[in-house]
Amino acid sequence: MNEFVIEARNLSKVYPGAVDVHAVNHIDLQIENDEFTAIVGPSGSGKTTLLNLIGGLDRPSTGEILVNGHQIHDLTDNQLIDFRLRHIGFVFQSYNLIPVLTALENTEFIMLMQNIPKAQREQRAIELLNEVGLGEKLHSRPTQLSGGQQQRVAVARALASKPDFVLADEPTANLDSESAFNLLDIMARLNKEEGITFLFSTHDQRVIDRARRVITLEDGRIVSDIRQS
Amino acid sequence: MLWKVAWRNIWRNRTRSLVIIIAIALGLWAGVFASAFVVGMMHEKIDSLIKLEISDFQVHHPKFRDEQDVRFFIAEPEKLIEGIRREEGVRGVSERLVVNAMISGPGQSGAAQVFGVDPEREAVVSGLNTYIDSGAWFEGIKRNPIVLSHRLAEKYHVKLRSKLVITVQDVHGEITAASFRVAGIFDTKNPPFDDRQVYVRRSDLDALLGSEGKVHEIAVSLDDHEQADPMASKFAAVRSDLEILPWMDLTPGMRLMIGMLDTYTYYIVGIIMLALLFSIINTMLMAVLERVREIGMLMAVGMNKMRVFSMIVLETIMLTMIGGPVGLILAWGSVNYFGKVGINVGGSAYADMGFAATVYTRLVPQTYLIITLMVIGMAILAAIYPARKALQLNPSEAIRKI
Ligand SMILES: Nc1ncnc2c1ncn2[C@@H]1O[C@H](COP(=O)(O)OP(=O)(O)O)[C@@H](O)[C@H]1O
Ligand SMILES: [Mg+2]
Repeated sequence: MNEFVIEARNLSKVYPGAVDVHAVNHIDLQIENDEFTAIVGPSGSGKTTLLNLIGGLDRPSTGEILVNGHQIHDLTDNQLIDFRLRHIGFVFQSYNLIPVLTALENTEFIMLMQNIPKAQREQRAIELLNEVGLGEKLHSRPTQLSGGQQQRVAVARALASKPDFVLADEPTANLDSESAFNLLDIMARLNKEEGITFLFSTHDQRVIDRARRVITLEDGRIVSDIRQS
Repeated sequence: MLWKVAWRNIWRNRTRSLVIIIAIALGLWAGVFASAFVVGMMHEKIDSLIKLEISDFQVHHPKFRDEQDVRFFIAEPEKLIEGIRREEGVRGVSERLVVNAMISGPGQSGAAQVFGVDPEREAVVSGLNTYIDSGAWFEGIKRNPIVLSHRLAEKYHVKLRSKLVITVQDVHGEITAASFRVAGIFDTKNPPFDDRQVYVRRSDLDALLGSEGKVHEIAVSLDDHEQADPMASKFAAVRSDLEILPWMDLTPGMRLMIGMLDTYTYYIVGIIMLALLFSIINTMLMAVLERVREIGMLMAVGMNKMRVFSMIVLETIMLTMIGGPVGLILAWGSVNYFGKVGINVGGSAYADMGFAATVYTRLVPQTYLIITLMVIGMAILAAIYPARKALQLNPSEAIRKI
């Protein structure tokens, strides 16, 4: 009945305080399968809050979120963790990886938590790392990798669990422009060739240019929603 | 892989982990060794106490110990003594006359407990002869020899061969006295003993008391102290008209003390562990707080609370379990070594207090097992708080710190 991967209805998040902060303010949003969408807006406009709500990392003050038609707001904490594990891939700005594990082990780790057998998860992890161009770095630890390489491992890790979509909160914020483009290329290719849905936030104009749909936030509200080619 | 992560996490802060591992190892080692030392020292003290003062078990008239009346002799001792002698594991039997008396030396007199003994038999049972360092055990004086301590010799101003007068009440209630000459002087390093007990030949005291060969006390020494209880009970069953008590019931508090000695180790180790517990908790708490973002990230991408909890618990247990065995092996090795070789504490305050000059460390083997279980318990206990702290993390907030 529902063709949307993500649907937010009248979504709000208020941080109470001396002055309440309406970080996300009555947002309605639908994301379809195969989208490659950027959430943009100045710092403090609510990008992280919105992505955290969609990713089930935070609970909305009001409104609801549906992922593939399933309500996620009435799940318990543990159900929510399990839901994230099975349905959502995450790429954060930094600290994506376990420092004591190699690129390969980091990618495998998420499949371990899904109880996928060793042989299978190793094979998939190698495939994914090859896809993000790190076939040579399987056994490197995060500290032995550049920032760009680390983010590519994070993308491989995010895909390892075969999620419904990938959420990436400013994945390029800590990267130089070459690495940023490189990461975007990989994400775009995965979107095109493998049909993986990406929803990412950024305030880097050159990254915005690569998105096929750009949603602009200001003070927790969507001020524009543009599809570009 | 969770094990791998936990293991590698331990070595992220190598110095901090090493410090805590070494602390655990040294703490356990010191605790176990110190208690083995004390247990060894106390056991030797108890052994010598049993030998010198109490013997393994004693036979009395049921009222004798309370009332100390000279007329409470042991009825029909012959068959009983014969029976005891035939028993396997009996090292010696000494029949004694025991009487409260007044002793007078040149210019000084005072109260004492006079033991009338057969010198050879008494030597086997109490070994008091080995404490003589001046004169000899009933040798060198033909008529009425007496053996007493240096403390008493000083008190009564007597030397070897000096004369002392012993005044007692005989079996008829008459006051009677005889003079004795000092044959030997001992020093047991046990002032209460030295200040109270003087020894004469049983035949001499018998003549003075008019006891006609009867005795007040039968002291029995065995090869194995453990046999004292069953053997005493056995004879007590046959001779219900007498009081037959093993060593642990002859000295008030002894049973309690022995029981405490066995649990002593656990108290020492327990206290050390308590201190270690807080250090481990502190270390792990630091490790968790340092990794707030990482743990938040793991929870964000789908690591459930059970797994996060297990990871921290596993890490804590591993950390503890590296130091634990090291400490226990060191303890086991050194306790065994010094259990054979002994530690010389001669000339120290201990020796002056009447403790043995050489202490042989000792520990019941099962102690190691129990301490191992205690270490595991400590590891689990130490893990809980930091692991719970990790669970309280809110992933979205932890991630925001990125
Ligand atoms: N935990 C919080 N408590 C209070 N206010 C918060 C909290 N997190 C975010 N905010 C506020 O919510 C608004 C949106 O923040 P955020 O979603 O981080 O924006 P962006 O990611 O676009 O920079 C900001 O004004 C921010 O200060
Ligand atoms: Mg943000």
